[in-house]
Amino acid sequence: MKHVLILCFALILTAPAQARNSVLDIRAVTSPNGIEAWLVEDHSIPVISLKFAFKNAGTALDPKDKQGLSRMLSNTLDEGAGELDSQTFQKELQDLSITLNFGSGRDHFMGNLKTLSTNKTRAFELLTLALTQPRFDEEPVSRMRKANQARIRSSLSKPNWIAARVLNDRAFEGHPYAQNSGGTLSTLENITPGDLRSFHKKLSRDRLVVAVSGDITAAELASALDHIFAGLPESSEIKTPAALTLQNQGKTYLFKKDIPQTIIEILQPSIDRKALEYSTAQVMNFVLGGSGFGSRLTKTIREERGLTYGIYSYLQDMNHIDLLAISSSTKNESAAEMLELIRAEWARMRDEPISEKELTNAKSYLIGSLPLSLTSTDKISGALLSLKLDDLPINYFDIREAEIQAVTAEEVQALAQDLLNPAHFTTVLVGQPEGLKNLEILSTIPNVE
Amino acid sequence: MKFKWGAALFCLSILVFGVLTPQALYAQEPQTTNAQTAEKTFNAAHFTLDNGMEIVVIPNHRAPVVTHMVWYRVGAADEPEGKSGIAHFLEHLMFKGSDGLAPGEFSEIIRALGGNDNAFTSQDYTAYFQSIAAEHLETVMRMEAGRMRGLTLSEKDFLSEQNVILEERSQRIDNNPPSLLNVKLSEALYRDHPYGDPVIGWRGEMEALSWEDAKGFYDQYYAPNNAILVVSGDVTGEHVLTLAQEIYGTFEQRPVPERKRVKSFDKPAEPFVTVSHPAVRQPTIQRSFIVPSYRQNPLDSLALQVLEEIVGASSTSRLYKALVIDQKLASGAGLSYRGNAWDSAELTIYAQPLPGITHDFLETAMNAELQKIAKEGISEEELKSAISRLQNQAIYARDSLTGPAMIFGYSLITGSRMDDVERWPQNIALVSAKQIQEVAQKYLMPDGAGFKNAATGYLLPAPPPNTEKEEEAAE
Repeated sequence: MKHVLILCFALILTAPAQARNSVLDIRAVTSPNGIEAWLVEDHSIPVISLKFAFKNAGTALDPKDKQGLSRMLSNTLDEGAGELDSQTFQKELQDLSITLNFGSGRDHFMGNLKTLSTNKTRAFELLTLALTQPRFDEEPVSRMRKANQARIRSSLSKPNWIAARVLNDRAFEGHPYAQNSGGTLSTLENITPGDLRSFHKKLSRDRLVVAVSGDITAAELASALDHIFAGLPESSEIKTPAALTLQNQGKTYLFKKDIPQTIIEILQPSIDRKALEYSTAQVMNFVLGGSGFGSRLTKTIREERGLTYGIYSYLQDMNHIDLLAISSSTKNESAAEMLELIRAEWARMRDEPISEKELTNAKSYLIGSLPLSLTSTDKISGALLSLKLDDLPINYFDIREAEIQAVTAEEVQALAQDLLNPAHFTTVLVGQPEGLKNLEILSTIPNVE
Repeated sequence: MKFKWGAALFCLSILVFGVLTPQALYAQEPQTTNAQTAEKTFNAAHFTLDNGMEIVVIPNHRAPVVTHMVWYRVGAADEPEGKSGIAHFLEHLMFKGSDGLAPGEFSEIIRALGGNDNAFTSQDYTAYFQSIAAEHLETVMRMEAGRMRGLTLSEKDFLSEQNVILEERSQRIDNNPPSLLNVKLSEALYRDHPYGDPVIGWRGEMEALSWEDAKGFYDQYYAPNNAILVVSGDVTGEHVLTLAQEIYGTFEQRPVPERKRVKSFDKPAEPFVTVSHPAVRQPTIQRSFIVPSYRQNPLDSLALQVLEEIVGASSTSRLYKALVIDQKLASGAGLSYRGNAWDSAELTIYAQPLPGITHDFLETAMNAELQKIAKEGISEEELKSAISRLQNQAIYARDSLTGPAMIFGYSLITGSRMDDVERWPQNIALVSAKQIQEVAQKYLMPDGAGFKNAATGYLLPAPPPNTEKEEEAAE
């Protein structure tokens, strides 16, 4: 058994050296009116997925007293357009099995259309209507407001949600990122159809990125792009939020809650996805806590000591800040021990190079797992959109492999020495942790009421 | 915007399709001949090894990857009295050393080969899976086979993993009032049937589980003749069969205990349960009915699947339209049915009241929607469009690597046959408006004394602290 496995490792190592085709056959398609999209054509299943984003038109643009505005726009764009009122519009989507929805993140406003290719003409028409002639009728706007308020009230019983509210508020203090993207109970009341109309004007062609996959040809897509997007405004003005450094580093906040566990959320500074050392950061994060099973944090804290059901670290790349996050939970009695163990892993990563086996395994996973993220039509279009949003080149999936292969254990250690520092942690705890000193106790959950 | 507030009830698309899994139709259905000749949904191959292990292969050549799953016909509802949680605990222990692999090494090797792995346990089954480059299929198969018959485990690893499952229980249930309500609701609904115990277990029993309990459970149930292998992805049936014969085919068939579950469904459910908790700001009402699973009654199950689509699946369904849009009583409402269970299945109707709306009022309105179906039935147009939407879901289901493997896994392990899955789109088309009215009358209506087969749960804001806490009563 062991022998078979060792053989497999050898194969993995040699595989990248062989010449082979691209991971994905991505084409750049440009419409007659100059709208560009990336396309992966695949006619094996009669499904088309079209994903798009309006860059920098996300929730960070919400005015403070209207937090949740951009989210509300994403909730109401598909609630009636042109001649079709909310129920008529939604019923047609349902009857044709078309998925059409919008979403708003901190940085970008996103759209998602999935349809059977037999219904593509009508699907594109409905999307065009939603984007260019949304109605914002009083009834659906009020219904979505109430649904969001109910969602907030429901979330108030979830300790992880509370931890996220506190973390945003403390880590991004003074910046629009500190706001609640989903709105607060009172700011949602302030949002009018007029506000939605005015935010809608920010969805302009100069910020548009489009990614498509599935049962559609390049020629069909080119004409569809004009049909759907050409009616949008050419450009729009926005006030770009300022750059941000992680706030309240070195501080640990506690929101007390009568539950058996302490929820632990930590942020510390990291590097940009476009930085040269990003591949090094990916390897470091994988070894540290990115892989779940097999990572150092999971081994030490879950497998050896049984202190948690899950502990993860991950890189968070946003427009105005880049972070490394750690997320876990443990029984209240173990919270101090858990924080101590995390710091010890930070020190170990700085003090000694990762082992040859850790390096090899991390590279094999980061390279070998890519096809697993490309196994459905909408996973493929999602991957393309993410490349475009990060301004990465069309052949990124192919060059990425060489970049990861080139990472050395010394580079990982050097980056760890630059980056990893528990003194730079902004830490949030929710629960009743025992044995911790110097906590700043919060008595209210920010950006909720 | 489609509203999906009931994450705990129906969050995964797989589960959504799962609800809709097809089943056998009876010979008297006139359209059966047509259905038999029509195209299969997944074109899967099915084999059985000499030792009784079943194999399903779903070829899908879009990417050079495979999902390899082994499903065991044993779950939490098969646990011995007083040993709740042992099926799930054993699932965790399967990662703690087997056939020459050290604790944790199984997953570490899978990651090093660029793959992902995990496992899950339900009331009726336990399943292990890996998704990985197709060239590594043989390696993962050998590793999974090593775990079927060669579990090794030290005392120390056993104890640390026991702490992990206790933390998992805290994280999943004890931290969260809505989960506490679900636990209490199942207990009330199923009385002494094992579906009334949480899959993760009761804390007191979990703490008392021993290595012998785990080993005994493993020896009893982890046999090739109690397992189904499902492989989807860039493979052929022949290739998988050849590998499986060589790797799993060498294991001896062993006697496995016959599934005997307490039949207490005649005993009426406890009608109402409440969780009041200081952390709750948004009340919820949910009513769960015990209804037939696909295995118990394929025709009624298919009818319930169409009923779900018409009454509660989306923001254009009857329930949402009535309660949220027209009457403005709730911020969200829906109905969900999962037909894949060995014993009875569950149908749940739920709503979140808007501020100022009383439970009684909302509950009456929820009932009225079900009564309407029982009394007046549904229109032919509603039926036709619901069936067409469900059939379209079968097309979308093919657009996935792991999804189809999941569908075959949980369908076959709960008693469906290959054809029930392959020909579900044809079978669902045979449901009539009359059948839907009949299942509503038969399963969803109270008699004079209330609901015999249903329990209603309320999640409420709490009285101030100091009062006896409800979640402790659940234990």
